[in-house]
Amino acid sequence: MGLKLFVIAALAFVIPREACAQGALPPPRSPLAAAPVDLTGYWVSLVTEDWRFRMVTSPKGDFTSVPLNAEGRKVAQAWDPAKDETSGQQCKAYGAPGLLRLPGRLHITWQGDNALRLDTDAGSQTRLFSFGPAQSRGGDWQGVSTATWDRPGSPMGFGFMLGPGAGAGQSGGSLKVVTTKLRPGYLRKNGVPYSADAVVTEYFDRFDVPGGDSLLVVSAEVNDPMYLLQPFWTSTHFKKQSDASGWNPTGCSAR
Amino acid sequence: MLGSMTENSMGSFRPHFFLLAGALVTAVTLFGQARPSPAIDFSGWWTSPFHEDSLERGAGPELVDYGGFPINEAARLFALSYDPSRVTLRHHQCDGYVAPYQVRAIGNSRAWEERDPHTQKLIAIHWYHQTFEGHRVIWMDGRPHPPAYAPHTWMGFSTGTFVGNALMVNTTHIKQGWLRRNGLPESDQATLVEFFVRHGDHITYTSVINDPVYLSEPSVRTTDLYRQPVDPNFWLFACDDGEQIIGRGPDQVPNFLFGQHPFLTEYADKYKLPLLGALGGAETMYPEYMTKLKTATEAEGMAETRPSQGPAETSRAVDPDPHDGEIHVWPVRRNVYMLVGDGGNVTVQVGDEGPLVVDSGTGQMAGKIIAAIRKLSDKPIQFLVNTSFHPDQTGGNVKLRESGSDPSVQGSFFSLQFVDAGVGATIMAHQNVANRMSAPTGKGAPTPAAGWPSDTYLKERRRTFHNDDDIQLFHEPNAITDGDSIVQFSRADIIATGDIFTTTQYPFIDRNNGGSVQGEIDALNDILNRTVYQHESEGGTLIVPGHGYLCDEHEVVEYRDMLVIIRDRVQALIKNGATLEQVKAAGVTADYDTRYGAATGPWTTDLFVEAVYTSLKQAPAKNAAQK
Repeated sequence: MGLKLFVIAALAFVIPREACAQGALPPPRSPLAAAPVDLTGYWVSLVTEDWRFRMVTSPKGDFTSVPLNAEGRKVAQAWDPAKDETSGQQCKAYGAPGLLRLPGRLHITWQGDNALRLDTDAGSQTRLFSFGPAQSRGGDWQGVSTATWDRPGSPMGFGFMLGPGAGAGQSGGSLKVVTTKLRPGYLRKNGVPYSADAVVTEYFDRFDVPGGDSLLVVSAEVNDPMYLLQPFWTSTHFKKQSDASGWNPTGCSAR
Repeated sequence: MLGSMTENSMGSFRPHFFLLAGALVTAVTLFGQARPSPAIDFSGWWTSPFHEDSLERGAGPELVDYGGFPINEAARLFALSYDPSRVTLRHHQCDGYVAPYQVRAIGNSRAWEERDPHTQKLIAIHWYHQTFEGHRVIWMDGRPHPPAYAPHTWMGFSTGTFVGNALMVNTTHIKQGWLRRNGLPESDQATLVEFFVRHGDHITYTSVINDPVYLSEPSVRTTDLYRQPVDPNFWLFACDDGEQIIGRGPDQVPNFLFGQHPFLTEYADKYKLPLLGALGGAETMYPEYMTKLKTATEAEGMAETRPSQGPAETSRAVDPDPHDGEIHVWPVRRNVYMLVGDGGNVTVQVGDEGPLVVDSGTGQMAGKIIAAIRKLSDKPIQFLVNTSFHPDQTGGNVKLRESGSDPSVQGSFFSLQFVDAGVGATIMAHQNVANRMSAPTGKGAPTPAAGWPSDTYLKERRRTFHNDDDIQLFHEPNAITDGDSIVQFSRADIIATGDIFTTTQYPFIDRNNGGSVQGEIDALNDILNRTVYQHESEGGTLIVPGHGYLCDEHEVVEYRDMLVIIRDRVQALIKNGATLEQVKAAGVTADYDTRYGAATGPWTTDLFVEAVYTSLKQAPAKNAAQK
């Protein structure tokens, strides 16, 4: 009897309520429809941390705070912006691991129902966060980014039983993005390196301050065994804009 | 326990377990329609990786590194006046960190939940931080924030709710502290909104500081924490103050005069930054400022290091008085209460011997004050102490004295102890208070005789033992007036300061009645000589100010510092031959006006500066700035 009760209860739980009302399982919802949070719009960076590393380009060899290993330090000490310019690599600091640390504005839009697109005016870069199969092979500055919605657990520790439909809608959650297959570049403009093996895991969270601004916070973890002793963690924040004010696309600058 | 169960015992366990699980699941489903945002468990040991602002958060920030902070002019000037040697002062050595700064500090943090043992409802989330042993309580049970006249602490008063995937926390009642520990201030008027979000073993912490006194826009910062799998076992941060600089006068507070910061350009020069950018401001947060940094001139930077011309700023602080026509009672400690609502604060001590009251308010609400005291004690008021003759402290004297009438005492031996025993409350004060309230024979007195002190003292101290506490009045000569007293309740460890200390305005130095800036500084130091903090410069001796919220020594220290610094500025200008008008034009209070300034009312900034100026001009400043 207990087992029957459990099965009934479990079924009642995992089948979404609207499906019960219609008498049929609903089709899977698209990432757009299932988005727990709206990240779209224009966002401006608030440069309130690492100010001198971000608002100006630090001198060669200043890699304070970045857990570089010996090889990483060696590469950083060899930074030569002129060489980057002549070799057409002035966008090395505009790759996914460092892009959002550069002061600028973001424009986030949906590209279809299955991918979020992030454009930056700094360096005029585009990142594509695909919820399905990757839409590029990578090997470029932005690499290949796969996206998922990361939702909070449920009360009483039953989050593992909620199923894919639970928590859908604007009830809160994070966008998780994992980026691989990168073209080697810089974590900071002064040549602090990351390699092609770097993996970037990011969480995009939106916080609405009561009576105040909406904030986009991007928590990033860069893993790069080639140049880093440990994961490099930063959190970067942006303020929501009501329009495209200040949007000022620029080219990459190596200096 | 489950691991030791036999097959049979598991067999008998299963049906019950599944029944329970099924019921729970069904309940969750049924009630899921209105499901609140799920609770997120932050319990565990956490540490920051320090991959952002590591220098600031570790060894400490460099001086005049304010870039990226949306500070206003007052904050910038405050920071430029800050001499790091200030932390050698006894009362600053153990200053804690304010809540938002605490999370960015070096060291370990531990979080745990407090749940009701019967219902398992979440009552609070606790955060303990190693640095300065900051213990934060985030109330999750929906309790309201305390009133504006309640005390402030380093951690403030925090309430939290789960919003989406985050814990959102609102914090008020924070002490004045550091926005960055190179002198950038965060005022006691700052409020805080925070978001804690957990991604596996990683917490991203977002803080949004609103500070009407020192910020022109909210200051937003984000901090990463990672989970420690085992107890790091580094939790203590002992601090006890001591003598660090021998020979420094008690009224010396290390500070730099405007425009004379000796390390003004050190940071900017070191990193080849324009000084203007290093001086911060809201504009320095935005991408457009990268362009400005390329064209900023030295002159533009230097212009930011002195007060700007134009009308002085005025206070943006919240008025702690409810102004609702009621008297509010705030328990201070033991048998002592603070009554708020009739202008000046009223301190009431109750017990078997009848209430002892410090100050009587303006008198406009004396009836309600008496009614409030009646709720605390059914005995007649025995003593009324006046800390000054000013109307905010004596306005209710007549009515409060009358309410101390006790016919049962009249004609008894007890009545021989005090001339007015049984007739009314005995009013105690320094003799100069009686002198100011009364008048020479044949002349009209400014106040009715029924409100005059009848028990006065002439020298430094009047003491009595009342309601199981030893109570001492200490004369503070030539502070606000020539008759000021502070009242110390030794066992309760409380000091009522009268208007020698307030949280609402610059000290009302009454030059016409014997007040002086040096006497006021000496009085504040005398208060500090009698205080002891409980932990990391907070708690311990509680201070009932003449006006404003209940404090401890930290607020008195900041107030003392302010007064010393302003004195030093005025003294330096006088030394250079400045007139009163030139002193006023120099903006000597520019870094404090957004907190205490007033352009209208009985005590304007101009009147305060004039009082400082005239008291320094007319009497050689004792222990004046040795610069």
